Amino acid sequence: MANQDLLRLSIAELAPKIRAGQVSPVEVTTAALERAEELQPKLNSFITLMKEQAMAQAESEQAAVARGEFKGPLQGIPIGIKDNMAVAGTKTTLGSKVLAGNVTDEDAEVVRRLKAAGAIILGKENLEEFAAGATSNNPHFGAVHNPWGLDHVPGGSSGGGGANVASEVTFASLGTDLGGSVRLPGTFCGVVGLKQTYGRVSQRGLLVTSFNGDHIGPMTRSVTDSALVLQALAGHDPLDPSTVPVPVADYTSQIGKGVRGLRMGVPSNYYFEDLDPQVQAAVEASIAALEELGVETVPVSLPSMKYAGAARIIAMSDALVTHEPYLRSKRQEYGPDVLYRTLGGQFVLGHHYSKAMKIQRLIQEEYAREMQGIDFIITPTSPLFAPRIDDQYVQHAGKRHRLRGPGSGLISRNTSPLNATGLPAITVPCGLSDSGLPIGVQFITRGFEEDLLFRVAAAYEEVSPIRGARPSVLDGF
Amino acid sequence: MPIPDETLKAIIRDYQGFELTDEELALVQPEIEFYLSELALWEDLDLSAVLSSRLMRVPESVDRNEGVTEGGAPNG
Repeated sequence: MANQDLLRLSIAELAPKIRAGQVSPVEVTTAALERAEELQPKLNSFITLMKEQAMAQAESEQAAVARGEFKGPLQGIPIGIKDNMAVAGTKTTLGSKVLAGNVTDEDAEVVRRLKAAGAIILGKENLEEFAAGATSNNPHFGAVHNPWGLDHVPGGSSGGGGANVASEVTFASLGTDLGGSVRLPGTFCGVVGLKQTYGRVSQRGLLVTSFNGDHIGPMTRSVTDSALVLQALAGHDPLDPSTVPVPVADYTSQIGKGVRGLRMGVPSNYYFEDLDPQVQAAVEASIAALEELGVETVPVSLPSMKYAGAARIIAMSDALVTHEPYLRSKRQEYGPDVLYRTLGGQFVLGHHYSKAMKIQRLIQEEYAREMQGIDFIITPTSPLFAPRIDDQYVQHAGKRHRLRGPGSGLISRNTSPLNATGLPAITVPCGLSDSGLPIGVQFITRGFEEDLLFRVAAAYEEVSPIRGARPSVLDGF
Repeated sequence: MPIPDETLKAIIRDYQGFELTDEELALVQPEIEFYLSELALWEDLDLSAVLSSRLMRVPESVDRNEGVTEGGAPNG
């Protein structure tokens, strides 16, 4: 099979071919590494490409398949890892100069689980410095470029992963989502991005910047692939007290069951305010498409969203604590966006932090109440589509917004509330702007109902108007 | 409530050990303005009935005797 045809397959399509011996892990990994090297000058999506380790793993998995040792659908599948998660013996920089030489002895728990499932770790992916922003415009390793428009950001902070999945370099990439950092590259790069329930996946081995709502989640080219990756990652980790001992569901079991009769909450406030008109039109079309599939629309009111900024105040304070060991001695090694944004956290008072935690709980309770009468909520993933890399500001809904650093937050306005609630949320591509940039729709369910989330998202994916669309960077491939 | 620049600089100096220039403080200001604008929203907010959020809840439908599995081996 030609490389471009191999790389275009989904995990669900490729896995049976690997198992049947029709395609070998070495063949797939070689193709992925060649694509990665070819596109790196355009996308700048990797900080470290792990060629030798990846090939060694691929040979090992090929031998395992030959012996009849089948480890599941990720065996032999090249996957990228955001460079804030530990891979033993490899640099984990967090996209920073401060940690440029940081090498860990152990794998992050998610990497351990991926390797146990036979996945091939292709490399460490570029990101926003310290994962603190939504553009992936990194001052030390360079900006990641959006495969649908190279002058545009891929979203962030897991931008390298979004760009790689969309460009068919990786079949999945693991990102981390503290305010939307998996779902935003998902929507801006036209791929599926999942933030599962808080506590569902171990964070051990992730260099966190906040202690309140970080999640490791996959970006993939299909909803089914997202379910397959979560299946390998999910489960209680006794060494990570943030994980919850809830049994792991079969995440593909509800895919294909359709959505007729399900009740879809459409928020009457916050999420649909101040949208780019093209985003609004695309998401309204998604609502209509789901209604066509037999979903019942129910208006939902979430008045506490007025206080959604409380989670950001928690994150401000948390970030300062994370950076405190480096600020005195390595201040000159920071980029300005992260440095000055982080210093803002110095001024958050303790009782305001406490109030912010209470407000977060208030918001959680409101979602819990509203979601009793519905099956899922639908929202736009971001109020806008990918801005240009060189834009510091954007004029949006009559206001001037900063895109990076202190005071920014427009891009993640619709994703960050779900980090505060801990509820599972997924973005699925739902349209293209007039300029050819992807738009995403976000689905939300109750906690630990990822199987229902995948059912809804997969049903929508089937009727999405951009199903099968590929980014312009792949023209000629 | 605005905070005087000298106070802000003194806090950074005392806690982080370096002096911010006026230009640097101006770069931090949007974050402080965000913080203060959020506080203004909270003025009339009654939080007295908010409960603790420390307990992790297992959905009632989950059979706790079923045992915990890792990914890749779905229950049932």
